[in-house]
Amino acid sequence: MDTVLSVINWLTNPAHWSGSDGIPTRFVEHIELSGESVLIGAAIALPIGIVLGHFGRFGALAMNVSNVGRAIPSIALLVLAFQIFGLGNVPIIIALTALAIPPMVTNSYVAMREVDPDIKEAARGMGFREPAQIWRVELPLAVPLVMAGIRTSAVQVVATATLAALIAGGGFGRYIIDGFGQQDYTKLVAGGVLVALLALATEAALSGLERLLVPRGIRLLSVPATKQVVFKTA
Amino acid sequence: MPTGLFLDYVDPWINWDWLSRHVPVVTSALVQHVELTAVAVGIGFAIAVPLGVVAQRRRLLRSSILTIFDIFYTVPSIAVFVFLIPYTGLTAVTAEVALVGYAVLILARNVMVGLDAVPKDVLDAADGMGYRPFARLIQVELPLALPTIFAGIRIATVTTIGLVTVAALIGWGGLGQLILQGFIESFHTPLVVGMALSIALAFVADLGLASIQRLALPWSRGG
Amino acid sequence: MNWRARSAFLATVLAFAMTAVACGSSPSSGGGGSTPKGSITLAGFNFTEGSVLAELYGQALEHDGYSVQYKLNLGNREVVSKAIESGSIDLYIGYAATDLEFYNKGAGEATGDAAANAAKLNGHLQSLNLQALNPAAAVDQNAFAMTKANAQKYNATKLSDLATVGSQLVLGGPPECATRPFCKPGLEQTYGIHFKDFKSLDPDGPLTRAALANNSIQVGLVFSSDGDLNSLGLTVLQDDKHLESADNVVPIIRSAVATDEVKKVLNAVSAGVTTNDLIDMNNQAGPQHMDPDAVAAAYLQKHNYFS
Repeated sequence: MDTVLSVINWLTNPAHWSGSDGIPTRFVEHIELSGESVLIGAAIALPIGIVLGHFGRFGALAMNVSNVGRAIPSIALLVLAFQIFGLGNVPIIIALTALAIPPMVTNSYVAMREVDPDIKEAARGMGFREPAQIWRVELPLAVPLVMAGIRTSAVQVVATATLAALIAGGGFGRYIIDGFGQQDYTKLVAGGVLVALLALATEAALSGLERLLVPRGIRLLSVPATKQVVFKTA
Repeated sequence: MPTGLFLDYVDPWINWDWLSRHVPVVTSALVQHVELTAVAVGIGFAIAVPLGVVAQRRRLLRSSILTIFDIFYTVPSIAVFVFLIPYTGLTAVTAEVALVGYAVLILARNVMVGLDAVPKDVLDAADGMGYRPFARLIQVELPLALPTIFAGIRIATVTTIGLVTVAALIGWGGLGQLILQGFIESFHTPLVVGMALSIALAFVADLGLASIQRLALPWSRGG
Repeated sequence: MNWRARSAFLATVLAFAMTAVACGSSPSSGGGGSTPKGSITLAGFNFTEGSVLAELYGQALEHDGYSVQYKLNLGNREVVSKAIESGSIDLYIGYAATDLEFYNKGAGEATGDAAANAAKLNGHLQSLNLQALNPAAAVDQNAFAMTKANAQKYNATKLSDLATVGSQLVLGGPPECATRPFCKPGLEQTYGIHFKDFKSLDPDGPLTRAALANNSIQVGLVFSSDGDLNSLGLTVLQDDKHLESADNVVPIIRSAVATDEVKKVLNAVSAGVTTNDLIDMNNQAGPQHMDPDAVAAAYLQKHNYFS
């Protein structure tokens, strides 16, 4: 209980809400690092997963990407990126982007594969061309699983961005790494709480976005838990 | 070797001479990695099966457990490892508590999902044949849920292998210790070796578990 | 469908797995084997010199017949002290003044006299069932470095020069620098330097060097025993108000394992190591990328510890 109280005190202390080590600064840093990584990752992963899924090619490849993603130690990836690209946000974003890609490739691939073949057939019968068929028929149906992939990826990147503090990055991870170094357990736990809150908020925000994006007609199709890919890399 | 593009000194990605002199160090790191993973997944499994079975049957317990899991899952492992130090010290226990925790999350979820997927007809038929609840669970439901549970074991194993490297920060990182050494000494070889072996270990473990799954559960089609 | 047989097979596999789990429950047990003199777990700090010193003292113990478990790069003093107090480790190689001010919680007792520092340190360690052995002649203390370009720009050769320009500069060091008396708080109190910002990096490691090089910090914590500062284009600012005290290398050990023989071996190493030896070894292990274990072995060989 002492811990809980001291963490609440820490989080509500005005001194921790200003300056270069204040919660607002660290929040912006954390959002920047993970947001940019997820956006770049999505720009790379979604087209690949969607096109591969549409044509049903390289399925084993698409599925194995997620296994590779789970197997890469994120801490090694960050250190490697630092040794190659030096100090700053660039190596961090490169490493986090690499971690963001696998869940999105796998989920969007599965999402496109799951589209009912009859519907694809019907679309072709109605004279849709390939791109129009993907964009106007299959993708709307695939949105729930594609979004599940983006959510998984985003939540994982938000959590993993914590480790960026090991290579001098900003974000809430600073509180954890600094709290560890200074043996300030209150700061450390507060950092963990902030990361968890941010991850949950990310999840909630993306669920809201999904509700906006999913056509009303197929909103009832929720994603079965078995189809989701579990990730935990940090 | 085309290295050193961004570095002011040339450090090969693998210094074979160093590696040849450090086989015992690398081996013991690998062994520690395997031990930490095996213990975490083993204990996690022992906890997750009863937990998943009980929670799958009680709607309230199930939703509250899943919510707690979702929240705990977002907490970065580094925070958990370090948070436990005042209670369990810089010991293997500290590393294991966190690793077991994450393994339980993955495994219990898969136990529930696997049991969910057992068709209602099958349950009715089993009831009709006079199975008592416990016998029905052991002889009908769990065997049918095994493919999903096994998929969970594979995910938990690969995930744990990755998380162990983070425990290097509390001195129990297995191959993560090599990664950390490579970082602190600005020395590519231990970093690359630790990373490569960690990925290789994950693949070997996943392939091995997949083969066991194929042998033991031919009715499941992998995951 | 003979799933019963399959399930039985699976059950056997799982049983094996569980047995393996039960047997593997002490992941530290690997290696070592039976030795007549027992086992000592030795931790190193999370910087290169920490590994060098751990290897140096550890190999001397190994030569004497002890089985030594190395926990290199374990962490900073905050972490390592927790480990030795809880008995997770038996020994680490510390620094007299910094350890004194750590265990007395920054009471300011440290002076320029290494033996006095070690004696006072022992006073604080006693209740923790720890003890500090004889300090070595080798000194490694905190120092503060700037790039030569920045030193020229801000006209700084000594720390007191920074008092007026400090508000334009960013200090970089390990996270604990923000709270340690010989680091940021000391610079504020002794020199009146109030930096624009503090950036958490590492103890004189790759992050600090990279940050100095790309000017994201202007002043960085380094170690005085570093061999490569000059070749990296760094200037160490003179500690003209003597913030840093006699930080002589000193083994800190759990009393339970500090037998006369162990003490004899460790003190023999301490008696020989000079600051120049330390700089030499750091130079080999750091910039030259030789292994800490090989560097330590070569030193011990050369100084006849193995004869």
